Amino acid sequence: MTEKLLEIKNLHVIYETDEGTVYAVNGLNLTMNKGETLGLVGETGAGKTTTALSIMKLLPEKVGVMKSDCLTFGSYDIGGASKEQMRLLRGKEISMIFQDPMTSLNPVITVGDQIAEVLEFHYIDKAKASISGRVDEILELVGLSPERKTDYPHQFSGGMKQRVVIAMALACEPKLLLADEPTTALDVTIQAQVLDMMKKLKEKLHTSMLLITHDLGVVAKTCDRVAIMYAGEVIEMGTVEQIFEGDNHHPYTVGLFGSIPDLTKIERRLKPIEGLMPDPTKLHRGCPFYARCPERLEICETKKPGESPADSHMIKCHLYTKTEGQLQEGMQ
Amino acid sequence: MEQPLIQAIDLKKYFRTRKGNLHAVDHVNFTIMKGKTLGVVGESGCGKSTLGRLVLRLLKATGGQVLFEGKDIFAYSDEEMLGIRKQMQIIFQDPYSSLNPRMTVSEIISDPIRVCGTLKTKKEIDDRVYELMDVVGLAERFVNTYPHELDGGRRQRIGIARALALDPRFIVCDEPVSALDVSIQAQILNLMMDLQEDLGLTYMFITHNLSVVKHISNEIMVMYLGQCVERASSAELFSTPLHPYTRALLNAIPLPNLKSREMAQIIRGEVTSPINPEPGCRFYSRCPAAKTGCTGEDIPLKEVSDGHYVACTLYR
Repeated sequence: MTEKLLEIKNLHVIYETDEGTVYAVNGLNLTMNKGETLGLVGETGAGKTTTALSIMKLLPEKVGVMKSDCLTFGSYDIGGASKEQMRLLRGKEISMIFQDPMTSLNPVITVGDQIAEVLEFHYIDKAKASISGRVDEILELVGLSPERKTDYPHQFSGGMKQRVVIAMALACEPKLLLADEPTTALDVTIQAQVLDMMKKLKEKLHTSMLLITHDLGVVAKTCDRVAIMYAGEVIEMGTVEQIFEGDNHHPYTVGLFGSIPDLTKIERRLKPIEGLMPDPTKLHRGCPFYARCPERLEICETKKPGESPADSHMIKCHLYTKTEGQLQEGMQ
Repeated sequence: MEQPLIQAIDLKKYFRTRKGNLHAVDHVNFTIMKGKTLGVVGESGCGKSTLGRLVLRLLKATGGQVLFEGKDIFAYSDEEMLGIRKQMQIIFQDPYSSLNPRMTVSEIISDPIRVCGTLKTKKEIDDRVYELMDVVGLAERFVNTYPHELDGGRRQRIGIARALALDPRFIVCDEPVSALDVSIQAQILNLMMDLQEDLGLTYMFITHNLSVVKHISNEIMVMYLGQCVERASSAELFSTPLHPYTRALLNAIPLPNLKSREMAQIIRGEVTSPINPEPGCRFYSRCPAAKTGCTGEDIPLKEVSDGHYVACTLYR
């Protein structure tokens, strides 16, 4: 039986900057079940990281404003949680791995102390010795020798630093791990090692993972379900089989797959998606992909497409929302 | 008949560090024919960018030669070099840091023209800038904008226009698409292939991404810790990779389909130090096929089939 772990309905995030309002996330719906790995895929500026930061409630103060109809994590209501409540959740129940391992570690604190920090915060009553033991244990889990806990981040290579970051994130065995491009900064052979390790650890610790990436290859290797984002919305969501092997797709998904050089075929030219991402400082009335879409209809310019079908394989495109009820949803 | 444009002979670059000599590029040989593309592939720290800079004499080599149309460019004086530089250009990896933020698009593109004085009047230069912008697909309205106003794909187009400004014959492309999103990557790669066809350019294409290099290269060279471990035509390298490192590299690429969902064999360990390396195969410590003969003396490249070179004891 699948149990919902994370549910987001109609999430909007705007950034109020000096240059104007940036509409980063526009009505995003997302659900995650317990134990699954959900891949959140999109290009730069699609709002992937903003979505993760919203779940953690770590948006920049005053600048980032979020509102949603529903943002729940297990039995917690994140949307309405106070700062203090969030502080207790972060690191213990939900933790996050940031993209760049080179900058997400403190250069003047040993890695052992950095891992211990999260444990000390969440288990105040624990004795020093047991925390130290746990640090050793978690380092071993991510494939590092416990003897290296007295070393500083600069003494580690990129791949090892990312292992340290993962160790920190998993120290309290969180229920949900938000991994923001965890392997983008790494070389392919190291990426393969880290992905393999994350997959094994996830199973061992029964953690659910939201994997943010722009690499569809990484998604194919690790995820159970996939959500594809474009201009702050999830435009297609389904199981990996539906996304990678299904016949029906959002035109953007088709374009995304077409842009990847195929190693198995010999073809001279690639098929890019023409044009650029829409300007996030302007709100669009219709479909955000309208300007670049090869299959656009008249309706797409003025009306936002609804989600169809809403449950298993969702595609947010007028090509697939021809039934009455869903058309009405699209008109709202 | 094909003629070589660029030849590197026994090229070496050692950087002196406090701990000893860092062998960034070690005894590398290659030839690039006119109008062709050599792909140089390797992970971070394998010396591929250093190699690109050596070929353009942007770095002083420790040893070896680079021949441009048969003449050693290391022997030229600085003034003579300026003439050669018009024919050899580079496109940099990061379109964010390789453009001067205080110059407009037109100033950036015309900068090489003004430095080399190939065109004199303002009218001529302006016309050339518009022509170049048209060639790389930048709309005329951007002529007076600054780089920060443009997105990554457009910035990389500026970098390409600047490299083309002097009608070069040879361009070193140092990871020109790795900072871009996939949908934009494909646009830029197509543009570069079109330019090559239209202008008869010769490329040295440096990247860590094997899937990118397959499309654009005629020949591919795989580097590991400063050395070339395998060199073959693009089709040959992908169909019959020989060196264990090349195989591991190909295996490690996550493919966007579900057939390869099971993790392929993953190579263990990390790149060892390039400082004062021991003689012998530098991939030894990570190699699944390592045996005693792999250490002790350097393994030379050997031609195992027509145009396919590999440096590995398995193919002696």
